[in-house]
Amino acid sequence: MNRIQKKIWMLASVVLIIMAIIWIALTYYNQKTQNQYNDILQRYLSMNEVTSTSQKMVTDLNNYLLEPSENHMDNLDKSKDKLNMAKLEIGKLRNSENEFALMNYMNLIDSLIETTDRSLMFYAESDTETSNKEFTEATRLSKYISEMTLTLIDTELKTYDVFYRGIIDQSGEFKKLGIWLMLLITLLLLVITYWFSLSITRPVQQLTRAANELSAGKFDKEIKVDSNDEISFLAQTFNRMRININNLFQEIQQKAQLEHELQQSKLLLQESQLKNLQSQINPHFLFNTLNTLSKKAYLEGSKETSDLLVSVAGLLRYNLKWLDKSVTLQDEVMVIQQYMNIQKARFTDRLTLHLEIDQSCLEVQIPGLTLQPIIENAVIYAVEPREDGGQIWLRIKDDDNMVRIEVEDDGPGIPENIRLQILDGELVETNSASTGIGFTNVVKRLRLFYGLENVMDIQSDIGVGTTVVIRIPKTRGIEQHAQTLDR
Amino acid sequence: MRKAGLIFLIFICIFLSYLTFITAQKAFQSDWKLPAASTQKEDSFRIVLITQELDTPFWDKVGKGAEQQAQKSGASLEVWGSYGKNQDDFLKKLEVAIQSKVDGIIVQGLDTDRFKELTKVKAAFYGIPIITVGNDVPKAESLRKTYVGSNQHLAGMMIAKLMLSDMGQEGQVILLSDSQKEHYQEQRLSGIKEVLQSFPNIKSIYAETPETREQVIAKTRDLLNQYPDADGFIAVNANTAGAMIQEIGRRGQVEPYFIYSFDDGSESMTLLNQKKLDGVIEQSPEMMGRKSVDVLMQWLKNETVPLDADGYSSEIRMIKAMDER
Repeated sequence: MNRIQKKIWMLASVVLIIMAIIWIALTYYNQKTQNQYNDILQRYLSMNEVTSTSQKMVTDLNNYLLEPSENHMDNLDKSKDKLNMAKLEIGKLRNSENEFALMNYMNLIDSLIETTDRSLMFYAESDTETSNKEFTEATRLSKYISEMTLTLIDTELKTYDVFYRGIIDQSGEFKKLGIWLMLLITLLLLVITYWFSLSITRPVQQLTRAANELSAGKFDKEIKVDSNDEISFLAQTFNRMRININNLFQEIQQKAQLEHELQQSKLLLQESQLKNLQSQINPHFLFNTLNTLSKKAYLEGSKETSDLLVSVAGLLRYNLKWLDKSVTLQDEVMVIQQYMNIQKARFTDRLTLHLEIDQSCLEVQIPGLTLQPIIENAVIYAVEPREDGGQIWLRIKDDDNMVRIEVEDDGPGIPENIRLQILDGELVETNSASTGIGFTNVVKRLRLFYGLENVMDIQSDIGVGTTVVIRIPKTRGIEQHAQTLDR
Repeated sequence: MRKAGLIFLIFICIFLSYLTFITAQKAFQSDWKLPAASTQKEDSFRIVLITQELDTPFWDKVGKGAEQQAQKSGASLEVWGSYGKNQDDFLKKLEVAIQSKVDGIIVQGLDTDRFKELTKVKAAFYGIPIITVGNDVPKAESLRKTYVGSNQHLAGMMIAKLMLSDMGQEGQVILLSDSQKEHYQEQRLSGIKEVLQSFPNIKSIYAETPETREQVIAKTRDLLNQYPDADGFIAVNANTAGAMIQEIGRRGQVEPYFIYSFDDGSESMTLLNQKKLDGVIEQSPEMMGRKSVDVLMQWLKNETVPLDADGYSSEIRMIKAMDER
């Protein structure tokens, strides 16, 4: 994960390699040109060497002839050797252009050496005249050699003219090449550097933008950095942090909501307790009185009145006792039967209650006093206003893992807007003919108790009737949740 | 905008790369070649053709013929020489050739002591065969191996006959030779004289002049003054013909005179075309060149030893001015 470092190294090596290549090419070319120049110079120098050595030899010969000494002899020998060497050097300069001339040239040198030898020989034999003649010839030969050198150099210039011009042109081209190459490399380096710097700064910019957004509180936008270096690692870490923060945030929000709901349920409970308290001015007095009345009625032979009073007392006790506790559906059904007993006494045969109960469902837990207000409601709106009375159906059915409770009446029905208001829990009841706990209260309590929104549904057709459907789970899934809240 | 910039950048990059590539190609690729290394075989013969008159039509042809033949027989040949009969230069070239130990020398004969000494002593000392071409120098005097060229005696006879056929058998003829008394001129003269002897009515006047233009002109003037009745001129040395005709022309008409010469002068053919010369003896310079190299190669390769000392004659023809038209 040392990508940025790697990138920098790469850039540096590319630059280095380019520079090295150029340097090597230049050095190579320079060396080549240098060699060419050296060769050319060497040619001229070799030729010139012959001229000067041959002249030197003739001078040495002259010196010796004038004054024959060891010293002069040595000099003569030396220059002879040198001339031979020079001849060998000249031999290397042969090419197809100067072959003939060069051969002549070398033979001339030979002739000069031979003539010199002859001159020496005749001198040794004291044939001074012949010796001098040979010396004259040697002088002439030396002159010829000089002239021929010039001719050769001239030929050389002509032969190599194209070559020399080529070298000059080439160096001109090379200068141009230098300029173009420099421009090209500059441009390339600029582009590479730009691209390179972008590859580092762009992810940083992206990261900065993401950080800005994060600091502005937008936790739900994913941080994406298209790079493969340390910045990307940083971005990934940053993104994880964002997700964590986001999760925590949501959790806190959820908790707050739950707390809010809890508070609300407490408030509702308090409200019903308050209502309760209002109606329990002196419950024991009422119980006692009702019991006394019941016994009195019984003794007086009014069995019906006695039963009615017992029902009222039971209902009252139930009301006081189970309001803040969950009860079984069985208890609820019992309360409803007591309630219906009372109402039957009031409405006689105007009210008919039909019970369709699946006994296996009666063990289900349900908040206390939930069905009674609904039935009461049905009685108040569907039975009470009608001369010929009404019918109420209470059905408890097994519905897979739910229990379906239906309360149906054949009353005038509820207008749509009110139906919705009830379901939304917004309706404030004004009719105070109930036992105290309103419909809305029931709806909210059910929702809170089961933690489900669609616990209750109301179907109503105007003039046909109203059906309230409550669907409660058999096992109370929310139980644990509720316990958590209770803590 | 950004895309356009990118395309522009890429375009510049490609453009620069192209230029760099082109110049690099030019800078690193050398299309000039050094002269090829020596191809000559060690044993190929080196022959030098030395003339006194470089850059004259006649000797150019000799050189051309010689070069053709040399190429054919695989010898390397160079043409050396002096310009405008510069004898010192010519002799120096000859000496250099001898001292350079070439394998063979083909030389335009020069009838001087120095030439003879060089050929006889120096060349013989180094064992270099010498062949004379065009102009001969007798074998006894030069130790030349052979002579290749026109039979100058025959040429002289031909020119005399040519003149006779034009002029008739009567008249005064001036024979202008140069004062060098070169062998070939002597031979031409002897040929002319041999023919003219049998015509007693022809009076031949022999005159000599140095070769420089002014002197030729002066001599011609003298001759015209001395012999105003002269009918014909023969320039034995073709190089004097131009100056001679110029002087005659200054005096009057060139037409009435019968003027003849040989083709080995630098102006001969021009003068013939201008009808100033009535006829020339044409030799075969190219053949001379070819034959000389051929003969020399034969000798060098030991195919024909010794060579015919009398020489190998090349063709000669008469050309009249009318024929040319």
